[in-house]
Amino acid sequence: MKKWAEVALGVVTSIGGFLEVGSIATATQGGAEFGFQLTWVLLLGVVSLAFLMEMTGRLAAVSRRTYVDLLREQFGVRFFMLPLAGVLVVSVLVLSAEIGGVSVALQMATGLGFRWWAIPVVVVGWFLLWRGTFGLVEQGTAMLGLVAITFAVGAVKMHPHWAQLGASLVPSAPTHDRARYWYLAVSILGASISPYLYLFYSAGAIEDEWTLDHIGVNRVTAGLGNLFGGVLVIAALVVAALVFAPRHIQVDRYEQIALVLASPLGRAGFVLFLATLCITCFGTTLEIVLAVAYLLAQGFGWSWSENLKPDKDARFSVTYSVVLLLAAVPVVLGLDPLFLTNISMVLTAASLPVTVLPLISLMNDEHTLRTHVNGWLSNTALIVISILSVVLLLAAFPLQMLGGG
Amino acid sequence: MESLSLVHDVLDAQLVDRREEKIGRADSLLLELRDGAPPRVTTILIGGAVRAERIGPWMTWLHRAIRRLMRREQDGVSRIPFSAMRRVGDTVQLDVDGEQLESGHLERWLAKHAVCRIPGASGERK
Repeated sequence: MKKWAEVALGVVTSIGGFLEVGSIATATQGGAEFGFQLTWVLLLGVVSLAFLMEMTGRLAAVSRRTYVDLLREQFGVRFFMLPLAGVLVVSVLVLSAEIGGVSVALQMATGLGFRWWAIPVVVVGWFLLWRGTFGLVEQGTAMLGLVAITFAVGAVKMHPHWAQLGASLVPSAPTHDRARYWYLAVSILGASISPYLYLFYSAGAIEDEWTLDHIGVNRVTAGLGNLFGGVLVIAALVVAALVFAPRHIQVDRYEQIALVLASPLGRAGFVLFLATLCITCFGTTLEIVLAVAYLLAQGFGWSWSENLKPDKDARFSVTYSVVLLLAAVPVVLGLDPLFLTNISMVLTAASLPVTVLPLISLMNDEHTLRTHVNGWLSNTALIVISILSVVLLLAAFPLQMLGGG
Repeated sequence: MESLSLVHDVLDAQLVDRREEKIGRADSLLLELRDGAPPRVTTILIGGAVRAERIGPWMTWLHRAIRRLMRREQDGVSRIPFSAMRRVGDTVQLDVDGEQLESGHLERWLAKHAVCRIPGASGERK
C-alpha cells in the first residue's frame, strides 16, 4: 500500500515539476508560430527526460549515492569542474527566469510591477527551505502544481483536430522561418531536459532513503510522471496553436501568454493561468536552488540534507540562501522575464553534454550498479540522447543569433 | 590479500569522521620517499588549496588571490595520516574528529557567524 502511495506521489511530483516558466513560454511560442508542428519536439524532450530520470534514480536506489557524488569520485575533480560550472551558470539563470515567472504572475494579479515582487518571492521561498523538510518542498509543490491540469481542460474544450495533432508527433521540417523553427525546437528541448531536474531527483532518492526495493517505483515515477507532465505541456502548445496561430499573434510578452486560457475558459481561465504560472514557477524555484546546493555540497563532500537543521549543514544552507538572492538580482533590475526565460532555455540545451555523457560510463559500471546496469533499451536511448545533446551544444549559439530575435 | 586502488577507491572519495559526519573529499594523497625502502602512502589531504593544484595553475592563482583578500594565514588544508583510515566503501571513514579539522573552518565560521544568527537555525529536528 505504502508503495502505491509513493508511486502516486512521485507521479504527481513529476506532473507539477514538468510545467514551469520555460516550458510554458517555449510551448506557447511554438504553438503560436508553428501550430501543432513542434509537438514532436516536446515528445522527444519528454521521452529523453524520462530515460535520464529513470537512470539517475536507479543509480541512486542501487548505489545509495547521488549522481553528483559518483560524478566527482569516478571522473576526478578536474573533470568535475565542467559539469559544476555548466550546471551552476545555467541553473542560476533558469532560477532567475522562474523568479521572474512568479513575479510576473503576481504583477498581473495585483498591478504592482514585477520588479517589486522578486525579493518577497525569494524571502518566502528561503523561509520554506530554512524551516521546511524535503518532504514539504517535494509534496507541497506537487499537490499545488496540479492546478496546471487547467491546460489540459483548456485544450480539450478547444476541440483540436486530433488527427492533425497526432500527425505532428512525427518530425517534420518547416516551410517558413526555418531558423526560428529550429531555434524554438532547441528552446523546447532545453526547457524539457533540464539538468537540475535529474540532479534534484537523484538527491531526492537519497533524501527519501530509496533502496533496491524502489527500482519499480522509480521506473513508474519517471515514466508515468513525465508522460502526464508532457501531456500538459503539449496541451499548452495546443491551446496556443488554436488561440494565437489563426490570428497571427507572435508571443513576445507574458501578458499575451496569460490570455491563452481566456479563450476556452473565460475569466476563470485567466485566473487559473496566473495561479499555474505562479505556483509551478515557485515550486521549480525551490527545486532548482536545492539542486544547486546539492551539486556543491555533494561535489565537495560537505554535510547536506534539506531535513537537517541549517546549523548542521552550514555551507549547504548558506549556498541556497545566497544563490536565491543572487538569482533575484536580474529580476529586481527589471530584465525582461520572457527574454531571460528564452536565453536560459537555449543555454540549458547547450549545457547538456557535460551531465549526459558521463552517464554512459556510470550506467554501465558493474562495480557500482551490479546487475542493474543499463540494458540495451536504456543504452540505445542514452546514446541517442548523448548525440542529441552534442547537436544541441553545436546548434544552440548559431540558432540563438539567427532565430532568437 | 585484498588490494586497494588509490585512484579508484580513495582519491576523490567522500570522507567521514568517526561519528560518520561528512568532512570533505580526499582531494589529494601524499607518498613518502624513503632511502632504501619503497615509497609509502602517508597522508590524505583535504582542502581547497590542494584541490586547486589538481585543477590547474589558474585555479591555484585564483585560490591564493581569494585567500589574500580574506587575509587568512592558514592554507585551510587538513593533513590526515593514512593510518587513520578505518573503512573503505561507499565512503572512507577516518578516525578523526571533524570538528577539529582545519579544512572545516569555513563550515564552522559560517555556522557561528551567519547561520546561527538567524532564528530557527538550530535544534534537534526540523
